[in-house]
Amino acid sequence: MLMLSFLWVVLGLLIGALANAAKLRPATWGRGGWLGMLGLGALVALLGGWLGTWVFGALFATATALWIAVLGVALLPRLMKVVSWFQNR
Amino acid sequence: MDGHQPSLPQGKKPGALADRPERTWKLGQRAAQAALAFLLCLGAFLSLVPWGRALTRSALLLPALLSASEPAPLALAGDPVRFKRLTISSSIGPVFLDIYEPATPPPPIPGGREAIIDVPGAGDNRPVPQLVNLSQSLAREGVVVVTVGTPTLFDYQVSARDGEAVVQAFELLEHWPGVDPQRIGIISFSVGDLLACVGAADPRIRDRVAFLAFLGGYVNVTGLLRTLGRRAQDVDGQTKPWQPISTDLYVLARTVSSLLSLTDQQLLQQAFPLTTRALPLTAQQQAQLSPDATAYYHLLEGDEPGSVDGNLAALSSPLKVLLNQLSPLSVLGQIRAPIHLLHDRNDPSIPFTQAQEFAAVLAHLHHPYDLAAYSIFSHVQVGSNLGQGQVLGDGLKLLGVLTSILLVGS
Repeated sequence: MLMLSFLWVVLGLLIGALANAAKLRPATWGRGGWLGMLGLGALVALLGGWLGTWVFGALFATATALWIAVLGVALLPRLMKVVSWFQNR
Repeated sequence: MDGHQPSLPQGKKPGALADRPERTWKLGQRAAQAALAFLLCLGAFLSLVPWGRALTRSALLLPALLSASEPAPLALAGDPVRFKRLTISSSIGPVFLDIYEPATPPPPIPGGREAIIDVPGAGDNRPVPQLVNLSQSLAREGVVVVTVGTPTLFDYQVSARDGEAVVQAFELLEHWPGVDPQRIGIISFSVGDLLACVGAADPRIRDRVAFLAFLGGYVNVTGLLRTLGRRAQDVDGQTKPWQPISTDLYVLARTVSSLLSLTDQQLLQQAFPLTTRALPLTAQQQAQLSPDATAYYHLLEGDEPGSVDGNLAALSSPLKVLLNQLSPLSVLGQIRAPIHLLHDRNDPSIPFTQAQEFAAVLAHLHHPYDLAAYSIFSHVQVGSNLGQGQVLGDGLKLLGVLTSILLVGS
């Protein structure tokens, strides 16, 4: 599982990089935000991989990590923005 | 190009040049968004959709089959495998079971595991590396695999009674921890398809068998004897020479031995040993054979290709009845499960015409089936030194069959 976890982190970093290129990073994250996006991708992919292992088995965990990471980098920054908007109201 | 196209104003040119990196940047952004959308769809399909999960499994299993070894991705992502050897008693005597199963509990989705009963051909094939590799690879993918053996099969004989072994294995698997009773299928190799067919046609289990897959199987012993006797087969309207391997003749000679005298048995065993081709019986030895054994001998020896029909007609009634019992054809009408036929076009053990006849019978019965012809197998094992074209073409066909088989448990 250690090797698989490492694979999911690498996959998440790549997805984070793609998310940066796709300009999914909110402007409010500032200059170092791109690093945050990489970290978010890696973290969500790792969580997705473990969730996939539990729900579908290790064979399908990488595919699960893939789509959860994409969803994560696409939706979580927006979700954070909405949460902070509510907090600042 | 009529020369009236408006030219860009001079003042705009520096701006247009400045726009170019931004356009490229926009293009990169769109490409990244498209790549993310593709990865999202791909990941969701391969993990959430049963067809996708079956495709993932078959794509990981295919290299294991073609290379006859365990590929790294399967070793990395697959389940650890537990092996057990069991012997159960049945009405036909002991049934030997080699069980390969994942050592982890089944995941919540899809729930219960798929199980596959694996019936190898004549002889004790349990330690054959390609069979062990297939069983282990399937177990790594979450499938419980049971390889079935019987004393008769180990003794290079085929008996319809041994279908009981498949029924016993099926009933055992239905209560096996983690196995979903609705997801049990049967794969057979070579003459093992008789056991698989007889088992799958048994009223005790026939409505619950999920699928049958036969690699290099036969359907009709009389048709097989006709091809043997002629040493030729008709494929696509063309008659092609065909030479059997010694194992076929050995198995066919032994399988009917219970109906022959001791002299007949000894002479047929002398004429058809297991590993080598013996010299034909002398005229004097042939004279010692009973009429039944004489006709049977000439069919196996292939020395009277013009008298095949006569020799088949000369077989005694009990022998004809036995040959009928030894033909999966006799029970096909009672099978409910869909059937996948896989056969190499140049199979040196069971001629390809048997697969064609099998398919024709199933089509006549309106039974769900598919037939895939290959060139990568040497009877039931993947050949060596395969060309890239062979691997690619046959690999895709094999991927389709594997996906159908693994869909049951996905």
